[in-house]
Amino acid sequence: MNLLTALAIGMLFGVGIFQLLRRNVIRSVMGLVLISNAMNLFLLSMGAYNGEAAAYAGSSAQISDPTPQALALTAIVISMGGFAFVLAMLYIISLRYKTSDSDHIQELKH
Amino acid sequence: MSIHWLVILPILLPLSGAVFGLLLRKFARLQFSLSLAAMLVALASSAGLLIYTFNESPVVVQIGRWPAPAGITLVGDLLSAFMVVMSQTVLTTGLLYAVACRDKCVHYPAFYPLFLILATGLTGSFLTGDLFNLFVFAELMVISGSLLTASADDRYGVEAAYKYFYISLLASVFLLLACGALYASYGTLNIADLARRIQTSPNLPLTQISMVLLLAFFMVKSAVVPFHFWQPDFHAASPTAVSAMLSSVIVKLGIYGFLRMTSLLFLEQAGLIRAALIVLGCVGVLLGGFSAIGANHLKRMLAYSTIGQIGFILVGIGWGTPLSLTAALVFAFNHSLIKSAMLMLAGAMASRAAVKSAAFNILEGIGKASPLAGGLFLIGGIALAGIPPTNGFISKLVLFKSGLEVQAFAALALIGAASALSLVYVLRAFMQIWWKMPASGVKTKPDGDRLIAPALLLGGCVALGLWSEPLIGLSMQIVNWMAEPGRYIQAVFGG
Repeated sequence: MNLLTALAIGMLFGVGIFQLLRRNVIRSVMGLVLISNAMNLFLLSMGAYNGEAAAYAGSSAQISDPTPQALALTAIVISMGGFAFVLAMLYIISLRYKTSDSDHIQELKH
Repeated sequence: MSIHWLVILPILLPLSGAVFGLLLRKFARLQFSLSLAAMLVALASSAGLLIYTFNESPVVVQIGRWPAPAGITLVGDLLSAFMVVMSQTVLTTGLLYAVACRDKCVHYPAFYPLFLILATGLTGSFLTGDLFNLFVFAELMVISGSLLTASADDRYGVEAAYKYFYISLLASVFLLLACGALYASYGTLNIADLARRIQTSPNLPLTQISMVLLLAFFMVKSAVVPFHFWQPDFHAASPTAVSAMLSSVIVKLGIYGFLRMTSLLFLEQAGLIRAALIVLGCVGVLLGGFSAIGANHLKRMLAYSTIGQIGFILVGIGWGTPLSLTAALVFAFNHSLIKSAMLMLAGAMASRAAVKSAAFNILEGIGKASPLAGGLFLIGGIALAGIPPTNGFISKLVLFKSGLEVQAFAALALIGAASALSLVYVLRAFMQIWWKMPASGVKTKPDGDRLIAPALLLGGCVALGLWSEPLIGLSMQIVNWMAEPGRYIQAVFGG
């Protein structure tokens, strides 16, 4: 289970960073979503993660630390609100420029 | 009344002011009065906090009475009280500017509540004693700041807000990764507890990684050089009342973070951080200065100048002697007053132009109609360039003196030459707006934004330039306090 979690975190980070660097703005936001999910998984795995065992359940050897789970929960809620806002802004921007290529979204600079 | 309220009120009052302000959205005048009252009482209580911590001891509040490492702690020590007083002073004048300005966006029902949430986020980030709580408050600040910018009159407001929000989400990822790495290594997120445990075992495998991640987070917040690219776009497009806050006090969150990191959290690696800060500060001073000279937009020029001025503060932190840290604190305080006043003046000029914009070719000659603004701009300009009798001179004097003390002549020569750049760009802007004749057929609007808020701030600048001993004395006291991290840890656990 540890190996699986580590692989999942690594893959999510990798794909996320690859998408983050794309020219298409929608793809780059999706990359950010992937990275923040990788980060949530990372937070979860920091608290002596025991696979599927829940906090304060089962035998004492299987107890996971609940603090990182609370942190991940908070981070998920905040990033959900944040991504809704980012996508709303992206909608307005793409209505103005009629493109999602970040090379063409540059009138602010002039 | 318990003394603990002095720490809680500066956070609680703007927050509740925002909530009640939303309920009062149909009554614009009442909403503004409530917001201003909340800000003023919060400022009074943070000033009370500063006086109490200066004379007595730091004030520590364990929220919900959970003892220190388990619960969330609010710590009002000398450094955070100083930062809170600085930012709430500027935020209050920001409200005064907003009510007297001609932007359409200040009439939106959520403008003042969002402004107060911005204040809450900033104040909370300074006062919190918990790393994860810092993430929550910083996120509050980012969301309200980018919402305010997205609602700007400028047609590129949304684009600028998008850039800022995107890079800030990335910065939050850095901070959360640092939180996770530190929690895995030390099993706590309380800053005092972390400092204690990092002191006993400073070289765990994840310590350096989390240090770099935290550094990256604070660099994005302060727009330090490799992470500065979003800042001019963002600060130029947001509403003037907001951009004056963003470019002056919001960027000080990173400065606060660097001070905490080098004086409390990572004592073992502080030398490494300081060396990096000197290099980045020198690069920032040069880059900010030259970009400001090349800018063709007044607000964008001032935003580039912020990159340069933050560079000076970083060099001060990097030298790391008591005198240079004092210089960094004095510089941070003075820069907040100067830069917010300058941006307000830029917005006031833009509001008088026929097309509302702060581009130099539109502003050409606009100043002929308002000599008062010209006088204020000149005072702010010489303060930015560091010429007496203004506070900008005092901050540069202390900084250069501390540089001579550590004999860092190369860095000194570099930032000395770069500070001449600030004189160039300020005078260029002044000549463009107040000396040139307006092009024929260009109409200047008879009245624009009121000048009361920048006049107040610049009055403070001149007063602090003529009578600077209290500020310098206070900063020295703060540096003495920071030199003994054990007392911070003891205050959190003993109180």
